[in-house]
Amino acid sequence: MDKVCITLNVNGDRYELAVDPWRTLVEVLRDDLNLTGTKIGCQTGDCGACTVLIDGKSVASCMMLAVAADNKNIATIEGLSTGQDELHPIQEAFVEQGAIQCGYCTPGMVLSTKYLLDQNPDPTETEIRQALSGNLCRCTGYHRIVKAVEAVAVKMRADGKGE
Amino acid sequence: MSQNNSAMKVVGQSIPRIDAPIKATGKARYTGDMKLPGMLYGKMLFSSVPHASIVRIDVSKALALPGVKDVIVGKDTPGIKFGNWRLFPATQDELPLAIDKVRFIGDAVAAVAAISQDIADEAIGLIEVEYAPLPAVYTIEDSLAAGAPLIHDENKELTNNISLDRKIDVGDVDAAFATADYVREDTVFVHAVSHAYMEPCAVLVEPDTEGRLTIWTSTQTPYIVQCLLASTLAIPENHVRVVKPYIGGGFGGKMELRPWDFCASLLARRTGRPVRFVLTRVEEFEVGRRRHGMKIRSKVAFKKDGTLIAKDFEAYLDGGAYNSMGPTATFLCGNFGAMLYRYPNYRYRGHHVYTNKPPAGAMRGFGAPQALYLSETQMNIAAEELGIDPIELRLKNAMVTGDVIEGVTRISSAGFVESLHKVAEMTNWKEKRASLAPNKGIGIGCYSFISGGVFNWFNTQYNFASCEIRAYSDGTAHLLTMAADIGQGSDTVLRQIMAQDLGLDPEQIRLTAADVTMTPKADLGTWGSRVTLMNGNAVLDATQKMRAELAKMVSLRFNLNVIHEVAFADGRVFAKAQPAKGISFGEAVTMWVKANRGEELVVRGHYTPRDLGLTSPAYSFGAQVAEVEVDPETGVVTVEKVSTAHDCGTVINPLAVEGQLEGAIQMGLGYALCEQFVMRDGKTLNTTFLDYKVPAAEDMPAIASAAIETYEPQGPLGAKEAGEGLAIPTAPAVSDAVWHATGYRCKDLPITPEKILRATGKL
Amino acid sequence: MSLPKFTYCEPKTLEEAALKLAEYDGRARIVAGGTDLLLGMRRGIAKPEVVISLARIAGANAIVASATELRIGAMATLAEVAQHPLVQQHFPALACAAAVTGTVQIRNMGTVVGNICNASPSADTATPLLIYDAKMIVVAPGGERTVALAEFFRGPGKTALTQGELVKEIVLKLPSGTTRSNYQKLSPRSKVDIAIVGVSALLAFSETGAIRRARIAIGSVAPVPKRALEAENMLEGCQLTPEVIAAVAAVAAKEAAPITDMRASEDYRRSMVAVLTRRALQQNQREQQ
Ligand SMILES: Cc1cc2nc3c(=O)[nH]c(=O)nc-3n(C[C@H](O)[C@H](O)[C@H](O)COP(=O)(O)OP(=O)(O)OC[C@H]3O[C@@H](n4cnc5c(N)ncnc54)[C@H](O)[C@@H]3O)c2cc1C
Ligand code: FES
Ligand code: FES
Repeated sequence: MDKVCITLNVNGDRYELAVDPWRTLVEVLRDDLNLTGTKIGCQTGDCGACTVLIDGKSVASCMMLAVAADNKNIATIEGLSTGQDELHPIQEAFVEQGAIQCGYCTPGMVLSTKYLLDQNPDPTETEIRQALSGNLCRCTGYHRIVKAVEAVAVKMRADGKGE
Repeated sequence: MSQNNSAMKVVGQSIPRIDAPIKATGKARYTGDMKLPGMLYGKMLFSSVPHASIVRIDVSKALALPGVKDVIVGKDTPGIKFGNWRLFPATQDELPLAIDKVRFIGDAVAAVAAISQDIADEAIGLIEVEYAPLPAVYTIEDSLAAGAPLIHDENKELTNNISLDRKIDVGDVDAAFATADYVREDTVFVHAVSHAYMEPCAVLVEPDTEGRLTIWTSTQTPYIVQCLLASTLAIPENHVRVVKPYIGGGFGGKMELRPWDFCASLLARRTGRPVRFVLTRVEEFEVGRRRHGMKIRSKVAFKKDGTLIAKDFEAYLDGGAYNSMGPTATFLCGNFGAMLYRYPNYRYRGHHVYTNKPPAGAMRGFGAPQALYLSETQMNIAAEELGIDPIELRLKNAMVTGDVIEGVTRISSAGFVESLHKVAEMTNWKEKRASLAPNKGIGIGCYSFISGGVFNWFNTQYNFASCEIRAYSDGTAHLLTMAADIGQGSDTVLRQIMAQDLGLDPEQIRLTAADVTMTPKADLGTWGSRVTLMNGNAVLDATQKMRAELAKMVSLRFNLNVIHEVAFADGRVFAKAQPAKGISFGEAVTMWVKANRGEELVVRGHYTPRDLGLTSPAYSFGAQVAEVEVDPETGVVTVEKVSTAHDCGTVINPLAVEGQLEGAIQMGLGYALCEQFVMRDGKTLNTTFLDYKVPAAEDMPAIASAAIETYEPQGPLGAKEAGEGLAIPTAPAVSDAVWHATGYRCKDLPITPEKILRATGKL
Repeated sequence: MSLPKFTYCEPKTLEEAALKLAEYDGRARIVAGGTDLLLGMRRGIAKPEVVISLARIAGANAIVASATELRIGAMATLAEVAQHPLVQQHFPALACAAAVTGTVQIRNMGTVVGNICNASPSADTATPLLIYDAKMIVVAPGGERTVALAEFFRGPGKTALTQGELVKEIVLKLPSGTTRSNYQKLSPRSKVDIAIVGVSALLAFSETGAIRRARIAIGSVAPVPKRALEAENMLEGCQLTPEVIAAVAAVAAKEAAPITDMRASEDYRRSMVAVLTRRALQQNQREQQ
C-alpha cells in the first residue's frame, strides 16, 4: 500500500506530497499543510464544515480522497482574504451582519457563499437558503447568514467584482 | 448598578463581536486545530454493551502495535469518582475509566496514545474486553419496575434506580383543588435530543517535567474541569492549567469533566508527551450528553373566570447511566413548572431515574423546555376548554414584577404582560386565531428563564464571577475574566459593559479570558445563562473601583470641590458639570501610577448572588407565536413564521440578542419536529447528521422579533439573560399551531407527520 | 477516525479499469464521486483492498446527445446532469431528482451513475431513470453489454454487475411526441434528507388526450426502486380523470412493499405512495393542459 505522490495547488501555492491513498483531502489540508481553517464537523459529508472549492466548485473535503485532488486548484478559507487586515467582502459581510457566533461553521459557509455568488450574483432568498443547505449551523439559525449573503451580493454587484 | 450617567454609547449598540474577523478568516484556533511537537494521538475505547461486569481487559496486543506509546484502563487510574454536584458527594457517581462495571454503551473503558491517529484507531480495535452481561433497562418504567437491576448497586443508600428526588410545596394544593371550578390533568413524554454543537469535543494536554499539566479543551467550564481533573488525578488544583481556546458551541453539552480530558491528562503524565483527543461525530452522537427525556404529569386547577389556583406537577427524568447534570435538571424542572403564572398553591415532585443509556446532561434551557412544553400546552388546552383566548388566559395569570414564589424566588423584573400584548399585536393574533385558511394554524408558547443559578452545587469556595482590570498610560486597558465565550458572545458583551462604564472605546480593551492560572479565581463557567449577569456585574464592580481611583486624580489635578461628580466618556475623565476640567484616561492612569510610586493600576471585581433565594437573581420572560401550514395528505408541517416578543432587560448588544433568538428557534424547531434519537437496546442508531436531522437553512421560517426593554435591578446596567430561555417556547407554540390547523395535540414529542395523520384518522 | 487502508489506481481507459476490477475479483471497488463509497468505508461496511478511480478516464464525465439518444457518462455529476439543458428539456424528472439529491457539495461530487450503482432503494435518480426506460452500458474486460435499468437493481446495494463489470454510461432515448414527466420526493423531516418515498411518473398522450404510454416508478418502498407495472397498465388508453388517478394511485400503493425504519413506518410509506403518485399524475395532467 504505497503512498501516492500528488501535487496540490492550494490558494495558489503548490505543494508536492506523498500521501496514503486512504487519507481524505480535509485530513491532508489540516494535518500535512497545517491549513486548519477548514473544519471537520462530521466526516460524513453532511455538515459542510469542511467545504472547499475544487476548480471553483464547492465540495465536502471529508468525502474526497486527497489523491483525487491531485493537480487541482483548491481554494480554502485561508486563501480568501489577501492581506493581514483585509477581509474578503463575504467575510466582511459575515462579520458586520452578525452571521458568526461560535464560528465553527463559518469557513464552510463563507466558501459555499463564494460558490453561490460565483454562479449566481443575484440570488433570491430561497436560492440562498438552498445554496447553504449543505452547511449546518447550530448557533445562528441561519438568519444572519442569509442576511450577510444578501448584503454582500448587493455590494459585490455594485462594486462590479463578482468574480 | 452603573454609576456612569453618561448616555449609553456602547451598550445598546449592535457591535459585531470582537472574535468575528478571526473566525471569518479561519484563523481562530479550536482545540482540534492545535498540534504540539512530539504530540501523541489519543483514542477512547467505549463500552459496546449497555450493562455488564468487566471480567477481563487485555491490552497486550494494542501495546505491542508499533507506534503505540501507552494504553490505560480503569485499574491504571486512582479510581476516584467525579460529578459536578460536589456539594453532595454521594451524587458523584462517574469514573473517568470504568473499573469493574459498565453502565451504558459509551462508558469509557480504555484509552490509547500513539504516534498517529491511524495507529491509535487501529490499537483500539486490538483491545480485548470480556464482559459478563447484566440485565439492562432503557425506559423510566422498566427502571422503576419491581426486580429491575440496580444500576448503581455500589451506592448502598439507593434502594432503587431513583438517584435523587426533589420536592417543592407552596400553599395547600389539595385544599385548592377542592375549590376548583375546572381541573385539567395531562401527562406528556418529551424526548431526548442532541446538542449537536458543530465542533466535536477535543482536548490537548501538555505535561511539564514537574507533573503539571496545561489543558486546552473544548469546554464551557474551565474551572470545573480544573477542579475535577485535579481530584480524579489526585493532584493539586494548581497543577492543572485549563485554557479555553475557541469553542465551536456547547449549549450545555460541554460543562463537565469528560473521560477524554482525564485520559489525555493521564496519558500525558505517563508518557511525558503532549496528547490530543478529537472525538468523531459518531462518537458524539453515541456517547455524548443529551437533553433529558422526561415523563411529566401536571394537574392544574382554575376558577371559572380563568384564575389559576393550584398546580400539581410531577416529573420523572430519564437520566441515563449517571447523574451528570441531572440533579440540576430535576431541581429546575420543578422551578420552571411554577414560573410564568401565579400559582398560589404549587406542588412538585421530581425524580431522577437511572437507565442504561447515555447520561443526559444540561442542554439549553435545562429542565425548562420539558416543564414548559407541558405547562404551556396545558394552558392552551385549558383556554380552549374554558372558552377563553389563550393570550387572555395568560394575561389573567401572568407573573409581574415583585411576585414571589414562597421559599423559591422573587421576580425582580418581568416584562411578560408586555410581551404577550406585543406578540398579539405583531401577529394579528385575535383575527388569525379566530379564522384561518384550512390547514393553517397559529399557536402560542411562552417562557421564562433564569439569569444564572444561585444554588452552589459545585460548592465553589470562590466568588461566582471575578475579573481583573488593568489600566495603562496609553489609554488602553486589559480585562482578565474567566468567563468562557463559547460562541454566545460574552467576550464582546463584557468588553461593551466595561467600555461603557469607563468611557473607553471597546477596541482599546484587550481581553484575556478563561485561562484558569491567568484569570482571577474563579468562575463557574458558561451555563444557566449566567455569564452576562454575573460576569457583567463583576466587571462593573471592578470598573467602579477603577473609577474611584481615577476620579481622585482628576479631583486633585483640578482641585475639584468635593461635591463634583466625575464622569468617564470618550476616553476622558472629567468633572461632569464642567467637562473642560478633565484629562484623558491615559493621563489619569499616569498620574495614578506616579502617585502610587510605580505601582500598576490593577483592580478586581467580584460577584456572588447573596440572599436571592435558591434559584436565580433574575428572570427573562417572553411570548412566541408560530404560524404553520400542515399538508393534510402527508402530514408534513411547514413552519411559516415565528414571532417573538421577549424581555431580556436592557439589551446590551441587539445583534447578539437577535442571534441568540434565531439560533434558539432552529433548536426549538428541531426539538418540536425533526430531532430524535433512535435507540435499540441501549444503542443509539442514528449517529450521523443524515440520520439525526437538525434543521437546515431551507427549513427555517421567517422570523420577527421585538425586545421588551425592562430594567433588571440585579443585572449589569439592567440586563438579564437572552439565550437559553428562547429555546423553550418554540415547541409548545408549534405544537399549538399544529393543533389549531389539524386538531391534533401532541403529547409525545416530536410532532411527526405520521402522528398527525394517525390522530386525524388518515392513517 | 481514518478510512480503512487500500491501494488506489487511476486507470486511463475503461478497459483498463475493467481489467483491474477483474484482477481483484470482488476485493476492488470503483470510485466515481466517492460520496457513497467513502461513507461505506467510514462505517466499516465497505473494505476494498483496491479502489479504482474513474477520474482520469477521458470523456467519462460527458453528457452527449445524438438525434435519438442522450448519454450520461460515468463521471457526470448530479449537478451537471441537473443543469444540463437537454436533460431539463427532455427528462425533467431526472433533472429535478438530481437537483434535490443530497446537498450542493454532494451534487458537485456525486454522480448519477454512482447513485444507480450504489443501488440504494431510496436513490433519487433511480425512479426518473426507470420511467425513461434507461439502459446501462456495462463494460467488462471482454466487451460491452446493455442492461435495462429495470433489470439492473437486484436488491439493496446489489446490481446486475458481475465480476469485472462496470458501468460506462446511461443511455436515454429522446422522447418522440409529447410526454410529461416529473419526480415527487417526500422527506418530511427536512428539505435536505433521504427520500422516504420517491415517485416518478411519465405520461405520453395521444391527440385525443388519451394516454398512449404510462410509466410509474416508486422508490424507497421496496428492496429496489421499481416500476409499478399494474398501475401503469391501468393507465394505458385511458383518459385521465380524478377517478382514474385515484384508482391508479391506490394500485401503486399496493405494489409497494415498504419496511419500517428510523425515517418512517411501513404504512405511512405505503399511503404516501398513493399521495405522491396522485400528485405526479396530476402534475402531468396540468402540464398537458
Ligand atoms: C451527505 C450525503 C447526502 C446524500 N443525500 C442523498 C440523497 O438525498 N439522495 C440520494 O439518492 N443519495 C444521497 N446520497 C448518496 C450519494 O451521494 C449518491 O448516491 C451519489 O449519487 C453517489 O455518487 P458517487 O459518484 O459519489 O458514487 P461513489 O461513492 O463513487 O460510488 C457509489 C457506488 O457505486 C459504485 N460505482 C460507482 N461508479 C460505478 C461505475 N461506473 N460502475 C460500477 N460501479 C460504480 C461504487 O463502487 C460504489 O459502490 C448522499 C450522500 C451523502 C454523503
Ligand atoms: S466534515 Fe465534511 S461535511 Fe461535515
Ligand atoms: S456559528 Fe456556531 S455553528 Fe455556525
